[in-house]
Amino acid sequence: MTLRPQSFRRARGGARAPLLVAAALGALAASAAFSHDVPRTLPSTVEARGARLAVTLDLAPAFPPGLQKQLSNGLTNVIAVHVTLVPERAQEPAALYGREVDVLYDVWEETFGVTVKDPASPRGRQRTFRRFDELRAFLADASAIDLGPISELGGGSWVVQTRIELNPVSRELLERTREFIANPSAAGRSGAPSRSVLGAMASYLLKGADPGADVHVFRSPPFTAREVAAR
Amino acid sequence: MPAPALAAMVVALLASAQGDAANEPSSPVTRRYVIERIQLDGLMRTRTSEVRRHLSTAEGELLDDKSVLLSRLRLLQLGWFSRVETRVEKGSERGLVVLVFDFTERNTLIVSDLVIGSTGPQPLYGGLGLSEGNFLGRGLSLSGTLVYGGPPADRPLDPARFALRGAFFAPDVTFAGLPLVFGLSALGLRGEEFTCSDPECRPFRGHYGDAPRLRYDRIGGELTVGLRPGPFERLLAGYRLERVSATSIPGATPGVDTGPLPSIRAGSSLLSALTATYDRDTRNELFFPTDGTRLALNIVFGSQALGGDYEYSRYLLQLESDHALPHGHALKLLGAAGAVQGDAPFFERFYPADFAYFSLGPALGRALELNFSTDARYDAYLAMLGAEYGVPLWSSGRFFHRGYLAIGARWLFSAARARAGRTPASRTPFSGDLALRLDTPVGSFNVSMGYALDNFL
Repeated sequence: MTLRPQSFRRARGGARAPLLVAAALGALAASAAFSHDVPRTLPSTVEARGARLAVTLDLAPAFPPGLQKQLSNGLTNVIAVHVTLVPERAQEPAALYGREVDVLYDVWEETFGVTVKDPASPRGRQRTFRRFDELRAFLADASAIDLGPISELGGGSWVVQTRIELNPVSRELLERTREFIANPSAAGRSGAPSRSVLGAMASYLLKGADPGADVHVFRSPPFTAREVAAR
Repeated sequence: MPAPALAAMVVALLASAQGDAANEPSSPVTRRYVIERIQLDGLMRTRTSEVRRHLSTAEGELLDDKSVLLSRLRLLQLGWFSRVETRVEKGSERGLVVLVFDFTERNTLIVSDLVIGSTGPQPLYGGLGLSEGNFLGRGLSLSGTLVYGGPPADRPLDPARFALRGAFFAPDVTFAGLPLVFGLSALGLRGEEFTCSDPECRPFRGHYGDAPRLRYDRIGGELTVGLRPGPFERLLAGYRLERVSATSIPGATPGVDTGPLPSIRAGSSLLSALTATYDRDTRNELFFPTDGTRLALNIVFGSQALGGDYEYSRYLLQLESDHALPHGHALKLLGAAGAVQGDAPFFERFYPADFAYFSLGPALGRALELNFSTDARYDAYLAMLGAEYGVPLWSSGRFFHRGYLAIGARWLFSAARARAGRTPASRTPFSGDLALRLDTPVGSFNVSMGYALDNFL
């Protein structure tokens, strides 16, 4: 029989493990910081129309040709476009423009029916297109969007931020589809937790539905009131 | 334009846009097509009958975009599919259409538990739990977990310590129009609890083979049936039966440094108990919830009237409340309260380390009800309060889909008797944690400082 000279705590391992875990946490957190999407830039023109600030955008990068399959699915596709004027180093918009486009491909008529709601026609106006390239050109065009008086720009630096969502699903709708169907964990009985080093969150069937909404965010280069060209 | 006016305009525009999205999507063209057929493509494992049960539309009905969208979201919610796409095709004649659901099935076999640990009494132990969430393609759950420690330290000829649990669960059974749930689980376990007078067994100076202990075996199972009163609720009733056998093994020097045995009947005994559980879960998701609450109340009533040897009752209430914070952060508030009355076996009492992030002193959170530490103190009263702050790190990784950093703190009180104290080490009621939580296709993982402190320090 031998006696182990080390203390109980040493018998349970070394002090290096927490440090290694901390290092791993830090490395993973650092790598995650690089995985955030960086907003792209759209071809755009910012100009003064009288005393108003107007922006023209080419939204084509948000509507690639591959979108044809989705928009031809015979069901209503909703496209939400939000254009905001924000200070370069802040998030709070100073002006916002919103447009909602509903696209419905009629499988028997073989046409794209479109309803557009925007500040010019809040109740909606309808268009019909026979070909996808016509529809795409229509969707990509965002001309002379009014973003308020130029005087509001002051001496600051601003950017135009554009957010385009395909088939956004409202929170209310998601709530309606949720059900508590998670299965109880095999490990824990009667609510007694079981300690796992890694997998500790079973009962996985109740998963937030990802309806696959397609979101594009674009951000213009910064500009000042002086740089806005008068038309 | 003054800032308040602009802000009002922004709010109005956003509200208008969101309102439109929330309500029925307005069709740009009036059409009245009838669904001639519903076609389900891409199903490899899942039965079509199971999918059809969750559809909100049917053949012969008018095509309604909203019902199609609801069906799609419900199917995604099941967790069986990574993608559900819908489209409409021409039917056999004008006015008829075929509604097509195109599925990409996801992996439903996940790692539910992964245990690795080391203590003086058990230099290395580990375990694995697997759970299949769509067993037989019918939405049934089948899971199994094994934790294995092997023979205790310094006693190579002793039987191995292990715990094995299997469970079957049917979460959505319709019988006579009633939404029911059904479950069956089985447990086989051989464990040991040290019976030193000192929880750390210090007189044995790390030579744990000389320490006195209680060796016990449990084998049994539980049958559960229940109702789903609402979409977020479960009401379960069950019956549990276990055969328990326990033997006291004296230390190298009998009678020296031997404390009381944990509460259990020597020899062979039977545990027979009724169980009742109310579970209400409105959290918006499991991995990184930002909204909703979870309430679980569990009551166990063991009695000789049921043919068992233990007369006791056990109550455990667990609460969780999740809140969204600015910048996508989240706050989770936690609470638990429990009490045990009567002659409950020790494993039906509360082991405080199970409810803490880590424990000062020798106690260590158990793995599948196996205690690998020297501390065999089980308590009759428990109260826990905690908070956890979550910082999302990323949300679009390939294998590590999502990740967030969790910073938590817990306060824990437990006592063997009302107003009874503990040793100075275990009386420290606070613990904290810094953890990285990862969401992957094979399960959610938790890389935790608290766990590392407990198991390796």
